[in-house]
Amino acid sequence: MVTVKFFASLRRASGVTGYKSEARSVAELLKEAEKLYGPGMAASLKACTVLVNGRNIHFLKGRRTRLEDGDEVALFPPLGGG
Amino acid sequence: MGNKGLGARLLYEMQEPGVDPLSPRNHLIVTTAPMTGTGAPSTNRFNVTTRSPLTGAIVCSNSGGDFGVHLKRAGYDALIVKGKAKSPVWLRIGEDEVSVEDAGELWGLDTEKTREKLPPKTGKLVIGPAGENLVKYACIVSQERVAGRAGVGTVMGSKNLKAVVAGGNMKPRPAHEEEYKKACKAWREVLKNHPTTGGELPSYGTAMFINRCNAANAIPTRNFSMGTFPYADEVSGETLAETRLEKNYACYGCVIACGRRVKVGGKSVKGPEYETLALLGPNLENRDLEAIIEWNYQADLLGLDTISMANTLGFVMELAEKGLIPSDLRFGKTAGISQAIEDIAYRRGLGEDMAEGVRYLAGKYGGEDFAIHSKGLELPGYEPRGAVGHGLGYAVANRGGCHLSGGYVVYVEANGPILVDPVTTTGKAGLVILLQTLLESISTLGCCNFTVFTMLLPKLLEWNARYTPVAKSLSMSFQYSGDLLGWALSTLPPWLLPFKPPFIMFPQVKSHSLCTGSDMTMGKFLQLGQRSYNIERLFNVREGFGSSEDTLPKRLTEELQRAEEPRSRVPLDKLLPRYYRLRGWDAGGRPKKKLLDRLSIREV
Repeated sequence: MVTVKFFASLRRASGVTGYKSEARSVAELLKEAEKLYGPGMAASLKACTVLVNGRNIHFLKGRRTRLEDGDEVALFPPLGGG
Repeated sequence: MGNKGLGARLLYEMQEPGVDPLSPRNHLIVTTAPMTGTGAPSTNRFNVTTRSPLTGAIVCSNSGGDFGVHLKRAGYDALIVKGKAKSPVWLRIGEDEVSVEDAGELWGLDTEKTREKLPPKTGKLVIGPAGENLVKYACIVSQERVAGRAGVGTVMGSKNLKAVVAGGNMKPRPAHEEEYKKACKAWREVLKNHPTTGGELPSYGTAMFINRCNAANAIPTRNFSMGTFPYADEVSGETLAETRLEKNYACYGCVIACGRRVKVGGKSVKGPEYETLALLGPNLENRDLEAIIEWNYQADLLGLDTISMANTLGFVMELAEKGLIPSDLRFGKTAGISQAIEDIAYRRGLGEDMAEGVRYLAGKYGGEDFAIHSKGLELPGYEPRGAVGHGLGYAVANRGGCHLSGGYVVYVEANGPILVDPVTTTGKAGLVILLQTLLESISTLGCCNFTVFTMLLPKLLEWNARYTPVAKSLSMSFQYSGDLLGWALSTLPPWLLPFKPPFIMFPQVKSHSLCTGSDMTMGKFLQLGQRSYNIERLFNVREGFGSSEDTLPKRLTEELQRAEEPRSRVPLDKLLPRYYRLRGWDAGGRPKKKLLDRLSIREV
């Protein structure tokens, strides 16, 4: 099982803080999340920052990054500030 | 030009070397900028510059609030205070006269009560008991905003100056008034329509970074011994917004409104900023949001910098766990913290030592390897082993361990759009220079640093987050060109960038040109930051600072944050020489004559 966490506006759009998934790749997980939380999430998920165990998937294998049991996937809107 | 740059130059030129920061000969300089009080958005800032009693280096502490605007209305661009009053006083600055008033009845009051007793409808700078008692990290408060770092409030206290009050009816007139008004209106729209300044910052405030940093191994936990905290969400911006937020709070003339008003114990108070949440939360292994709000309010009333204060608490907790100091403070326990904060402000018991900061405590009780400071200034709320470029920024920052003077590289490494690999050293030295220069230029124009976010075009970053091969190439090329960009900024003359920066990315620059009547090109804009940063550096060099002070504790440079990631430390041995070379500084971290000539800076 993979732990998925939504943050900031993604949390508002989905109405949940996260969920448990059995997806085997980031691409599969994003499709699943879109199905689960409706078209309101689709645009946000198309361009969101994805971290797998704290690493941005740019520095792994992008959306083809494989997911293993126990992995933690964090999804953020691409911009922030503070 | 103004604010930070002007303050640095005035201090460098007016103050002789070797002045004790708490002696009457130290200058306390408050500066504004040409756009302050003219109606431009997010340009209400004022800056306090002095020699820090905590670090011995220059400190430029930038704040919101409304003092800068009122100082302008009284007819002044800057205020320079030197000397020491024989007894407590406050300073009244009006259009026609400046007077020194007795502050006997104000001395001993907290910052809120002090403000209430001073004349209404004026701008006020006040210190609390911590500043009066010369706690080394006392702050200055304006409205609810704070010039917090490195003891600017301590210097004010050392002059027996409890408060400064300014007011009047004068209004600076922009050179091209009508065009300026139109530009400011368009600038407000740019800020409102940007997803950061018009979306996330108003929604979650700076606290939005808690979850972002935590997810990217960059939240300081247990005195910076780890980069993640399992309960971070309980003290996050999202939780604050969902459970505590009453309304947003904006500085004078600001459309971003990132400040928070929150409810605690039936009272409406200022909400904690990111740094305070990170350092009083995860860094103390504390998940009690209500307690953090209360401690933050208490620190503001007493006039303490929450970054240094929270680091001091964390360091004492670790010293106590290791049996090196007699204290009951412990990680994960809220008991005793409120009392310790009060003891610091009044220098009671162990508070006497804690009031001197982490570096002093390490000298007396040991634990230098995990004493989290640089140049004596305690580090802000980003664990740099999760963002090594940010760590380099901490080490070289002119005012000591500071995220802003360090360039805020964590934004592109871990908590913003994440454009570069957080643990590689490739390109990082140059990116630190690029971002330091940008922030310095923005500050020198008198703008809030948050206005810099408009530089990041939303479309471009959304495209980057689509994770296509082209998007990856974009990220990689930004990272690999980092050193080239840093070198170019330090080496090439400004006339090589003769164009005016696009308004949608840099509305500050065009607005500034219309305000002053003096055209500013991209080259000139960036040169402002270069000049300002190098003048600050020259001040420090003159006070004996060199490469040996550009450092971090061993915990951050030698110990790995995560055993499975061999790059999760800040390799300063690699990064520093490259940074100096690209900056045009010698191996001792001193600006070379060639660079100073190019920037038309005269050594004093």
